[in-house]
Amino acid sequence: MKIRVAAVGDVHLGEDIRGRYRRTLDGIEERADVLLIAGDLTRHGTPEEGRIVAEEFRDLPVPVVTVLGNHDYQSDAEEEVADLLREAGIQVLQDDSTIVECGPDGVRLGLVGGKGFGGGFAGKCASEFGEPEMKAFVRHTREIADLWQKALKGLDADYRVVLSHYSPVKDTLAGEPLEIYPFLGSYLLAEAVDSEGADLFIHGHAHAGEEKGVTPGGIRVRNVALPVLGRAYAVYCLGGEDPESC
Amino acid sequence: MSDARHHEAPHPDAPHYVAARVQRALAEDDRTHELGIRVDIRGDQLYLRGKVEGGERRRQVAAVAGETAPGLTVHNEVTVVEVREPGEEETL
Ligand SMILES: [Fe+2]
Ligand SMILES: [Fe+2]
Repeated sequence: MKIRVAAVGDVHLGEDIRGRYRRTLDGIEERADVLLIAGDLTRHGTPEEGRIVAEEFRDLPVPVVTVLGNHDYQSDAEEEVADLLREAGIQVLQDDSTIVECGPDGVRLGLVGGKGFGGGFAGKCASEFGEPEMKAFVRHTREIADLWQKALKGLDADYRVVLSHYSPVKDTLAGEPLEIYPFLGSYLLAEAVDSEGADLFIHGHAHAGEEKGVTPGGIRVRNVALPVLGRAYAVYCLGGEDPESC
Repeated sequence: MSDARHHEAPHPDAPHYVAARVQRALAEDDRTHELGIRVDIRGDQLYLRGKVEGGERRRQVAAVAGETAPGLTVHNEVTVVEVREPGEEETL
């Protein structure tokens, strides 16, 4: 029982590149059973760009699940953008979970996630202390991590994948300036997911980072930001220990 | 006698600040919203490096940088992200 997960992030679509990404999705059903998008769908987060994203990813032969990224929040229209995507049949995770039945075998893929947020990594991170602005910054990440942990706890599926925009680990940030790590992710996301277990953690956001990493608990992490991949999408095969299966 | 140099006006246009101002403009200007562009200034030469998704965005980055740092020569070394075929899958 296997499942092939296609993933990409940071497509940053806009009027000037409308239709360009769609062409690269031709034949995706031959390569993958589901497509996950790790946020930063747009550049400015306007409803107009949301419509372009909806057109680009609608009516694909595989289910599509996405989260939003920080760029998709820029115009304070994130809920409208999410609704436009849902109207086009694209599932949008916002700190909740879903189960997608994939492929000819109806493998149940459990997905948990959302935008995520920053704060930094263990031992070198912000904490909920001091000014209200600082507390609010870290609290936002902690509340997200708590919601993901709860969502994972109750999720009964064949495989469990976490989909985020921000990174749970430093591994996949290598290549980014150290000084901006606290704005690229938080170890609280990794800690929450490690406590409940998952098969894969997908994120984007770190355009200059690296594709591959692992959480302290041993969950594989993949940064699928388009500039990192340099290819239309990555495909990860879960359940592939059987050599016949992938 | 005090050293007169200590009383000179500060230098808001030190290359350090100009580069920071350009980087901030690239992130905040509606025409760009590009967060990952590296800005370096050497003398009167300004270098831009990073990746964007299309040719028009590449031109806008140089335009915003030029407006924010008038008088500097802009070298646009930003490249457009290549999107190749999906390629091999990875078995986990
Ligand atoms: Fe991005
Ligand atoms: Fe981002």
